[in-house]
Amino acid sequence: MQGLQIVNLELPDLALAYGLVLLAAGLARLRHNGQEWKILWASLRMVVQLLAMGYLLHFVFAIKSPLPVLAILLVMGGFSLQVMGGHVKQKMPHFYRVVSCAIFIGCGGATFLFCSVIVGNTPWWDPRYLIPMAGMIIGNSMNGASLAAERLCSEMSGRREEMEAALCLGASSRQAAEAALGQAFRAALMTNVNNMAAMGVVMLPGMMTGQILAGIEPVVAVRYQIAIMCAITGSVSVTSYLILILGYRHYFSDAHQLKMGEA
Amino acid sequence: MMAIPALEKEESLRLEQVCVLRQQGAGPRRELLSGISFLAASGEISAIVGPSGGGKSTLIRLLNRLEDPTSGAVYLGGTDLRQLDPLQLRRQVALVAQKPFMFQGTVLENLQRSFVYAGKPLLAPDSAELLRALAASRLDEEFLTRDARSLSLGEQQRVSLARALITSPGVLLLDEPTSALDRRSAEELGQAFREISRQQRLCVVLVTHDLALAGRIADHCLFLDGGRILEAGSPAELFTRPRTAQLARFLAGPAPQEV
Repeated sequence: MQGLQIVNLELPDLALAYGLVLLAAGLARLRHNGQEWKILWASLRMVVQLLAMGYLLHFVFAIKSPLPVLAILLVMGGFSLQVMGGHVKQKMPHFYRVVSCAIFIGCGGATFLFCSVIVGNTPWWDPRYLIPMAGMIIGNSMNGASLAAERLCSEMSGRREEMEAALCLGASSRQAAEAALGQAFRAALMTNVNNMAAMGVVMLPGMMTGQILAGIEPVVAVRYQIAIMCAITGSVSVTSYLILILGYRHYFSDAHQLKMGEA
Repeated sequence: MMAIPALEKEESLRLEQVCVLRQQGAGPRRELLSGISFLAASGEISAIVGPSGGGKSTLIRLLNRLEDPTSGAVYLGGTDLRQLDPLQLRRQVALVAQKPFMFQGTVLENLQRSFVYAGKPLLAPDSAELLRALAASRLDEEFLTRDARSLSLGEQQRVSLARALITSPGVLLLDEPTSALDRRSAEELGQAFREISRQQRLCVVLVTHDLALAGRIADHCLFLDGGRILEAGSPAELFTRPRTAQLARFLAGPAPQEV
């Protein structure tokens, strides 16, 4: 798949690019909004994190063993959980347990399916595919999952009266929560659906751009993009669905009672 | 799970030494109800009156198991509620809440809800059960096609009564059913409750701070204050000869409604 030789960026080239960040910081200083240090700090983090990731991947590619690959995936998953924990203000009961379980099954399943069945890698853990794919799938699912978790909470507290009315008519907790679950699932998938519809016209996605830059034939790059979008959609829907299905139960007791103070 | 028992006149709902403790914030658990025992019989209306915050709403929520007591037990026809299937129980012990909640859709769709939940065939608009529930709740057939959420509060409360009656329950729980209504609707609904209890031999438990309503329709009255039953008897006894200072104060209260 090695096509054209890609232009290698040397240190002076990077320094020049970093000049654009300094420009951003300079503009912020001009506006006196106190953002300049934040910009510099964030850009520094970006540089250090990416360099570290680059060397780490270099190392992992070299030793050809599944264990470090899986370890990286676990760290990525854990990190996404931490980011979600920071994002989602109103947390459902047992938030971390529910979300980690959903991400593990939803993202893990989609990534495995994509790498080992659709692309058909041998070995299935080939880090050149597995790590970037998992990154894209987890990153995108995280947004959907945050939306699902947040919406579940607000629907559960907003529909308390409705759910108790349903329970009084003999509804099970699942039946009582049905409307809330439907709304939350819709909200979780919205971004992904909009993204798919805008794909190729409004947005040229990162993976495709990267492959084209690396000299891959655009028609081939497009096929990869289509496949990864499908995997992301599957992952977002399964992860969100699991969050809702595992999450709503914690609002009810086994006797189909809405718990006090949870909503 | 045991089958829902057939109700005898003598013992429909019975509470024995019911206590409810609840954690509120970081503080110690507070006692919302303590040592509550009473019996509500079929064909009679038992009213629980008392000031707000006295535990009335908590008490009524125990009777269809929206909550469970911390200690003590509630029996339906002699069987502990916790041994019954909660979903079937709530069809047998129906509740009309203080504020009627109407599901989106027509009145007919609202009335069919419990059949949808139970996975049973829906009632036809002209079925005998449906017409009986409508008539008992003083609603015309023409209401069936109306949008439930566009109705007045009084009409909504009558729909929620019909919705409760449609599963032919043995016990009807009424939680401040008239407090959101104007006086005319409240009186009309009170009349409906009385007829339902007599004609369908229902056991009705009414929770209210409206002494006028309790005095007009109840056979028995309990005065609940501070989580305890302080007095019990016929409404006439309680309202004319209070034995405790709390009841006397409640009767003379800041907003006494006509007795």
